[in-house]
Amino acid sequence: MQPDFAELNRFLLDCPPFDQLNADQRQWIAGQIKAAYINEHNVDELFANYSPALYIVRSGGFDLLAPDGQLIERLESHDLFGYPSLLTGRAIVNQLEVVEDGIIYIVAAADFDHLRQTSRAFEHYFIRAHEQRFLTESSFSQPQPHPKTYPERAALSSASYPQRAALAGEVVQRAAVCLCSTATIQEAAQAMRAEKVSSIMVVDDGRLVGILTDRDLRNRVVAQGLNYDIHINAVMTQAPATIGAKQSLVDALALMTQENIHHLPVVEEDGKPIGMLTNTDMMREQKSEPVMLISALNKVGDREALVAEAAHIPEYMHSFAARVNDAAAVGRLLASLTDTMTRKLIDFYEQEHGVAPASYVWLAFGSQGREDQTLSSDQDNGLLLANDLNQAQLDWFAGLGEFVCEGLADCGVPKCPGNIMASNPECRRTRAGWLERFQSWTESPTPKALMYCQIFFDSRNVRGNKRLYQAYREDVAKLGRSDFFLGNLARLQSNVQVPLGLFNRFRGTESGKDSDWVDIKRYGIALINDIVRLYSLHEGLTEPRTLTRLQLLESCKLLNRKDNQALAEAWQFLTQLRLQHQLAVWGTAQPKNALDPDELSTLKRRQLKSAFRIVKDCQQGVGLKFGRIG
Amino acid sequence: MQMKALLGKWKAALQNYWQRQRRLRKSWRQQRYVALDLETSGLEPKSDQVLAMGWVVIEPPVLDYQQAQYFVTQAQPDLKQSPVVHGLVRRDFLDATPPQQALEQLATVLNGAVLVCHHVQFDWQFLQRLAKQHQVKLQPLAKFDTLTFEAARLRQQQHHIARGSLTLVACRQRFGLPMYEAHHAYSDAVACGELFLAQAYQYAGSSEASLQELLAKAK
Repeated sequence: MQPDFAELNRFLLDCPPFDQLNADQRQWIAGQIKAAYINEHNVDELFANYSPALYIVRSGGFDLLAPDGQLIERLESHDLFGYPSLLTGRAIVNQLEVVEDGIIYIVAAADFDHLRQTSRAFEHYFIRAHEQRFLTESSFSQPQPHPKTYPERAALSSASYPQRAALAGEVVQRAAVCLCSTATIQEAAQAMRAEKVSSIMVVDDGRLVGILTDRDLRNRVVAQGLNYDIHINAVMTQAPATIGAKQSLVDALALMTQENIHHLPVVEEDGKPIGMLTNTDMMREQKSEPVMLISALNKVGDREALVAEAAHIPEYMHSFAARVNDAAAVGRLLASLTDTMTRKLIDFYEQEHGVAPASYVWLAFGSQGREDQTLSSDQDNGLLLANDLNQAQLDWFAGLGEFVCEGLADCGVPKCPGNIMASNPECRRTRAGWLERFQSWTESPTPKALMYCQIFFDSRNVRGNKRLYQAYREDVAKLGRSDFFLGNLARLQSNVQVPLGLFNRFRGTESGKDSDWVDIKRYGIALINDIVRLYSLHEGLTEPRTLTRLQLLESCKLLNRKDNQALAEAWQFLTQLRLQHQLAVWGTAQPKNALDPDELSTLKRRQLKSAFRIVKDCQQGVGLKFGRIG
Repeated sequence: MQMKALLGKWKAALQNYWQRQRRLRKSWRQQRYVALDLETSGLEPKSDQVLAMGWVVIEPPVLDYQQAQYFVTQAQPDLKQSPVVHGLVRRDFLDATPPQQALEQLATVLNGAVLVCHHVQFDWQFLQRLAKQHQVKLQPLAKFDTLTFEAARLRQQQHHIARGSLTLVACRQRFGLPMYEAHHAYSDAVACGELFLAQAYQYAGSSEASLQELLAKAK
């Protein structure tokens, strides 16, 4: 009789992608496996007598070497190798060296093929792994965070809510109500009455050109006393903000808050309108609680009430993040909350001290600028001022900086230890004043200056004069294109060591008792931000968000498509991992950005290695492309 | 006539002997091994029963799960205290295999192979009694004891052999082999087989040692 292979089954359950097989498939493959005890005396027999095959390390340590003797990877328990030959049919050219004797499981080619044919998940995993693109892989049967360091909280939240965030296209209640731009205002009003909707999508030749809402009819037509025979293109909102059907609801929400709009057209990839997303839709969705939070923030009447309302944010964000499980969306939502609080504080200051005496821009830098804020991110902001202000006006803005930064701190956004805040006179400058600073940084790039640049080059306009900001941003972009400066930035970045040691093992980045922990922000996310920024500066982009920058860089010749995609996937994986980690250590004294790789699941550990490898490769690319100049 | 038969028998025995000697002198790596473990109701071969047996075939360096077998051989077990040890409970005995059938399979696989157990005398005594009862002949080429080998190895390194240091788990740990949770005739057979490979390669990995030389180290 066949044994139940309980021990081997237990191992395979912790060894993706075998965890994706059903129980019968797993039992079947357990009965086909050969276990080889490999040591220096017989290591050559493995490839000679048992290939092609999939090899799984059960115990011991082995080095995989390229034909030229260069180390590719150190293989340890749960690591897989040999599949590239299986998939391509090419002979194995790499060599294996024994570091420590151990057991290697062998899955014969025919059995491997059988599993690929019977399990899509299994097949999918190896195709992605072969393309070195398995960062987007996720496994629900994985016990996500390790139970030892991660308390029940994380397990609870992943069990009680679906993992996937709702998409904008799924929430739309009805097909778009469309008119062409030459319809009259009266026709539009009639259509709205007949269809019982509060807005119309204006579509010419299948493309969305504008929207018209009942509020527009009130404010732009009735209040202005316009004739109802006028074409709607005269009163509609032209080129409105839109959202793709495949984007998440949280993205839609962030956009609606940012633009302060109540109607958001949902469109197909080719721009074809699908339907209108309204505030009411968002409220109906359970996941729309952020709407309530943001509107609660918007409704407060004074600073005290704002601080009181903001006190709910951490607890709220915690449950929200656990639910939507989408790090990018959480970063954007936090940034838009900080934006909202900033605008409210500016309003309160104006109520007390009169409206701004001159045009200005409240600038968000760093993570708020990039919209990848976390709950532990601190403030990075500044003021861009009009020219030739008198002392009284300067004092007004000094007061504003002080008031808003203090207010944000009270609302739970910690002050910046480096004092990059509008309360600091150094961070309140005219356009010429800011340019002077940027110029001094780009021309004499000390490490500190370069560090500032990385924060200041990721900026966004939170409140203020759009034209003033645009002019400033374009000037800054021009300065950023200096080859001398980019060369220095590239060299600075290549000095940061990715936490992968020899043999592709994790290298701890921390000191003290947690010395084998790895800081995934500093040595992962921040490095990708830096790399992407460098390409963006080179291309003169003014966009601050890392993922959007990558989209804009798709046509850039310097960064090939494959690296572009790999960087985006690595960034998403790392921010996601950081979010999960932060949720798990929530309310404890544990580090927020550093984690112990040994506590991760097998799949997560493999993925983290893969992400760091991408960062390392791209870092070297940056060094080669920019580092030599200047 | 009687004389002739006797002579023939004698000749066959002699041939067998030489054949066996020839095989023992061949490299240990070209042999077949059967790592085996029994679950018993107690420690006394004369009065206690074999409850289950598990084995796996080894052709160095490979342990072949396709040739793995596990049988519950006792339909009316006398469990006494032992379920605590091997985790077998009443319902496991419902689809027991007749011992005869299991033994015949074992006899086939053992023929010309080396039996490997952790404390081989213990398992062998139980097996022999059971085989005699069912008139099955078990004729392994030789027997290898991972426990004796380990004791000799430690003694040679002038280790004081502490209490508990010769259990299967402790021996495996010294060779850096993984910890197994299950204690079950089959997984213990695998555990013992892996230990055997680790021991053999450590002793004779670099040389063309014969099976005989290897066996001498486990005496």
